[in-house]
Amino acid sequence: MDAVVKKIIKEVKKGDQQAFSELVELYKDKVYQVAYRMLGNSHEAQDIAQEAFLRAYTNLDSYDVNRKFSTWLFRIATNLAIDRIRKKKPDFHLEDHVAGTEDLNYYSQIATEEELPEEQVVKFEMQEWVQKEIMMLPPKYRSAIILKYMEDLSLKEISEILKLPVATVKTRIHRGREALRKRLRDS
Amino acid sequence: MACKNEYSILIHKYLDEEMTLLEKKKLENHIIKCKDCEGHMRELRKTVAIVQSASHIEAPINFTESVMNKLPKETNTNRWKTRLRKHPILLTAAVFFLVFVMSISSIWNDSTKEIVVKGDGHFIVDEERRVVIIPEGETISGDIIVRNGNIEIEGEVLGDITIINGEIIKSDISNGENYLASAGHVAGEIHEINQVFDWLWYRVKAFFSDVINFIN
Ligand SMILES: [Zn+2]
Repeated sequence: MDAVVKKIIKEVKKGDQQAFSELVELYKDKVYQVAYRMLGNSHEAQDIAQEAFLRAYTNLDSYDVNRKFSTWLFRIATNLAIDRIRKKKPDFHLEDHVAGTEDLNYYSQIATEEELPEEQVVKFEMQEWVQKEIMMLPPKYRSAIILKYMEDLSLKEISEILKLPVATVKTRIHRGREALRKRLRDS
Repeated sequence: MACKNEYSILIHKYLDEEMTLLEKKKLENHIIKCKDCEGHMRELRKTVAIVQSASHIEAPINFTESVMNKLPKETNTNRWKTRLRKHPILLTAAVFFLVFVMSISSIWNDSTKEIVVKGDGHFIVDEERRVVIIPEGETISGDIIVRNGNIEIEGEVLGDITIINGEIIKSDISNGENYLASAGHVAGEIHEINQVFDWLWYRVKAFFSDVINFIN
């Protein structure tokens, strides 16, 4: 995988723009998922995920090939998402959290109309719950939890993505976990 | 709840999978006795499992395409450099192609709009309709080349037919039959150059501008 990615990056750096599409294909779901989980709606998620790839393309020369490409890409995506959250902060309150799940609600409504098996409905509800609760977390806990449990990354990788000491990442994950636990118990 | 803090740290260590055997033993022994800590740990594990179970989201369709469309436009020079580097044989092929096409185009350019026929046998040139007619009962023993005109075959052609800037048209007496239906008339192959030539010419012009950009 790493060898393939390195080869593609080499091609892109030589000027083969088309080769970049292979990188997008490889990472689009992961990057989109980070953006979606951070922002809570598909419109902004797509915006940020695309922007992340565009930045990666234009700044490819500053990428250190000896490091993991995904770490670098996730860092760009996470920073963009956090910036976006900061910018819209004035109208972002805990009360608004339901707005963040509208897409999932929409899908689950469609799903219900089509009378999905009960198991699937439960799954949708769980998805909704998870997204809603993640949106309630302060962004710094949110990013740590998403990277750890949705992208399945190691503490070390997360610390590189967020440019934080591993100990700080741990604390954020602990606090995020505790916050989610309390909400699960109260729900 | 007095124990909470110390054991809370251990519980998180457990969830981070960073426990020593000794710590693990310590936590296990405590949890058997302490309902609070046991509950705490159970709830946290459940929370983690639920978050992990949130199924993975996929990027929208056409995502890659729209990213690619937003990339800064590649310069022609870059595109050619890339292609030539990727396919070195392309350069050779391109040069060969250029020479080949230039020789064709020189033939083309020095020709006037006059109908030119090359062939061995008896045929009629109808200047007004710009048609070369091979009359019924006549045979062209070898190849025939017609330039700047059409050809109508009522007789027989034993060799190939090459038509430059023209086409085979149906003979009047073929009763609506396609000339191919009476394939017995033509023993060899039929080449109509005009379309191919148009295509070649278009490619050559595009290629020239790219090469000039590339050289500059
Ligand atoms: Zn206890």
